[in-house]
Amino acid sequence: MSETLPLGIDPSVLDKEFDSSTSEPVTAEEIREYAASLGESHPAYFGATPVAPPTFCVKFRGHRFFHPAIPPETFVRGFDAGKDIQFGEPIRAGDVVHTSSVLHEIYEKTGRTGSMVFIVSRQMMKNQRGEMVAIIDSRFMLRPRDVK
Amino acid sequence: MSVAAVEIGHEIPKLEITLTGDQVRRYATVAQMPGPRFMSDEIARKEGLPGQILPGNMSMALLSRMLTDWLPDARLEKLGVTFRGIVQPGKPIVCSGFVTDRRDEAGGVELECDLILEQAGERRITGVAGLRLPKP
Repeated sequence: MSETLPLGIDPSVLDKEFDSSTSEPVTAEEIREYAASLGESHPAYFGATPVAPPTFCVKFRGHRFFHPAIPPETFVRGFDAGKDIQFGEPIRAGDVVHTSSVLHEIYEKTGRTGSMVFIVSRQMMKNQRGEMVAIIDSRFMLRPRDVK
Repeated sequence: MSVAAVEIGHEIPKLEITLTGDQVRRYATVAQMPGPRFMSDEIARKEGLPGQILPGNMSMALLSRMLTDWLPDARLEKLGVTFRGIVQPGKPIVCSGFVTDRRDEAGGVELECDLILEQAGERRITGVAGLRLPKP
């Protein structure tokens, strides 16, 4: 393994928690409003004790999304490249969601236009019973001219 | 629809929708993503965009909606997307997909699907999903 990763990041910071947060209890109204904003019609999302649509978990972003070792100016010109979500227990009204964030990966790919750097931030979410709610990997891409 | 009839190659019923700027602002607010580019044409243009855009999470959520509209009893186990271009309100969005794998197991049926979100005839998002259903 090289001594540093792209952007000069020390590999020892990978997969070490840099942020954690615990939500307020999720309300039935929040779930219904989220579902309604997407035009959802599944009755489970709208009852007195609703279950949240799977992607409701994306709203738990913690205090900071990217590792503090990555310079903030990095994000000015790059863009959101994609996301992978592994879903666990559905979120229900009354649940409290604990989110833990790590820098999961930084890697380089070479395409036709040159080298691109991908930063993968991982948010791991559990409910108040310790059950896994979701693991979200968010990929941020820096285009060749942005890579220093 | 019954999962018994779902085979590899099965086309998922399309979700066709045109969102208003207000709908995008509403989602961005409730999903706690109040980035200026999601809220206003004027600010988005200052950022070099053609106008207000959807948060990537909202486009992803529309693909999720297509799946649960199709199979309401399904449990979405994974969803992965690659953002290839911006998606805007005021223009038709077409979400589509098809089944790429089916596994019948003791506890239920697992489906793998490829997903596409198109706008103006271009693939703006591609993705994959894994679903689990009770045995038929």
